[in-house]
Amino acid sequence: MSLLTADTIGKKFGGVIALKDVSLTVEKGEIVGMIGPNGSGKTTFINNLSGLYAPTSGRFMFNGEDITGLPAHVITGKGISRTFQNLRVFPNISVLENILIGLHCKITTSLWDVYAGVLKTRKVERQAREKAMAVLELADLAGRHDTLAKNLPYGKQRLLEICRAIVSDPHLLLLDEPCAGMNPVEMDDLAGFIRILQKKGITVFVIEHNMRFIMSVAERIIVLANGAKFQEGTPVEIQKDKKVQAIYLGEEGDL
Amino acid sequence: MEPTLENHGKQTGNPMTFKTVLNHPMFKKTAFLTAAAGCVLLPHIMTDTYYLGIINYMILYVILCMGLNLILGYAGLLSLGHAAFYGLGGYTTAILITRYGFGFLSCLILSGAIALLFGILLGLPTRKVRGDYFCLLTIAFGEIFRLVAQAWIGFTNGAMGIVGIPIPSILGWSIRTEVDFYYLGLILLGFTWITLSLLVHSKFGRAFIAIREDELAASVMGINTAVYKIIVFGIGCFYAGLAGSYLAVYQTTVTPSNFRLEESCLMIIMVIVGGMGSLLAPIAGVIIMTLATEYFRGIAEYRMLIIGVIMVAVLLFRPQGIFGTSAFKG
Repeated sequence: MSLLTADTIGKKFGGVIALKDVSLTVEKGEIVGMIGPNGSGKTTFINNLSGLYAPTSGRFMFNGEDITGLPAHVITGKGISRTFQNLRVFPNISVLENILIGLHCKITTSLWDVYAGVLKTRKVERQAREKAMAVLELADLAGRHDTLAKNLPYGKQRLLEICRAIVSDPHLLLLDEPCAGMNPVEMDDLAGFIRILQKKGITVFVIEHNMRFIMSVAERIIVLANGAKFQEGTPVEIQKDKKVQAIYLGEEGDL
Repeated sequence: MEPTLENHGKQTGNPMTFKTVLNHPMFKKTAFLTAAAGCVLLPHIMTDTYYLGIINYMILYVILCMGLNLILGYAGLLSLGHAAFYGLGGYTTAILITRYGFGFLSCLILSGAIALLFGILLGLPTRKVRGDYFCLLTIAFGEIFRLVAQAWIGFTNGAMGIVGIPIPSILGWSIRTEVDFYYLGLILLGFTWITLSLLVHSKFGRAFIAIREDELAASVMGINTAVYKIIVFGIGCFYAGLAGSYLAVYQTTVTPSNFRLEESCLMIIMVIVGGMGSLLAPIAGVIIMTLATEYFRGIAEYRMLIIGVIMVAVLLFRPQGIFGTSAFKG
């Protein structure tokens, strides 16, 4: 059974068809890439999957469970984490607190425990802190755990956002253009980091515009065009595909 | 940390700054013990009942503002109806004590509970109504409360208010003098501080901050933002209920004019001047605003003008408030 099955997902905004019968599967342990020209519906697809929108048709099966249209916080609890295209770290709090918020769904403290089970809560908090520090260690951010998130350099903020998403041990991690605004060195670091995540057993679904990055990191690539699935294959197949080149660069005759 | 363009080299982890000394555990411990001892001994040093009376009102406002700060500073919900919850507490205590002979302790608990309940009810629309529109809703609630208190003469005695609230006693301790009220206030303040600090240092406090910083990202972190906004609003209002209960027995009267919109505005100003998003920061705002209004009592008609000038000055020169977190820098 696949980890994720998207079955003929469709999304309309009024009369605009953003997604048209997109079907795909993601197997456990894979790194899957999704590419496509601007406006092809990549982010809309992730937003539907992570519960920010509800699809107008089709369904998402995750771990054998129908998760179509559930609210975002429930989907996160089921083990799907994500990052955002336009960087959404919590700017005015420390790096460590950002990570601790990422752990929210794994901390079982109830409101009653906060007042009546002070010692238990304290123990849970200490364990959460250790866990958060371990994740920061992995991304080489542990030395800056006290810094306000907004004071980190841009590339580090991107890394922080990924750390915040993986601290809850998700089964599936959705990355929405993680390279946007990064320089080539930061991109290589990120590619290395994504492979470390794969070794830790996290399945990664990554949307990216940067071809060098996606070709080096993804094992399988899905091409989206005008809201529909256009092509699917290994990076080598996709690179050679004339039709994919055409949707990005136009037909040969056009030039 | 290297000085960078973003922080202008200010107070971020440089070992010799004022802030690191303030954050040192030894300093914190000493400061806390000194402050605690000072608070307990204060009525024996400052025996003038006029000044003690002012301090009692300050304690009352600190309790109110700490609750409001949870809503405004932590969760980022602007509420201009806080005086209504204060009033709910005040009227609950006044009515239960004078008409039904309840003890003060049960009145205190029930006042908090009623404010909590109404807080949850008013928090329900946060699911759909956001930002400025929610603020309008809280103003409306505050005005409705005041008008009902004024018009429902059979129950609230109208504009005359409820008078002659008897001397309260808790477990045989009858609270008569300014000094007694000071200690009662101190106990309530301690309770407020301890419970709030447990809350904000748990996953709940972090969830509130996450909602303030970025609600969409918060929901993707697994936070049920709708429920958490209701929780934070209810809890913040609970403390207003306690403060209202204290006001009723301290003042021995409650009238609708105690709970006007201006009162809500004053609380917001106190929180903003003191600093939002930091648990004890509103104390500074309460002290400054109370002293200013007392000092300028002679020109009472210009009181709001002076309050306004102080607030404009703070917003110009220190937008995050005197002790606020940098989240509100502007």
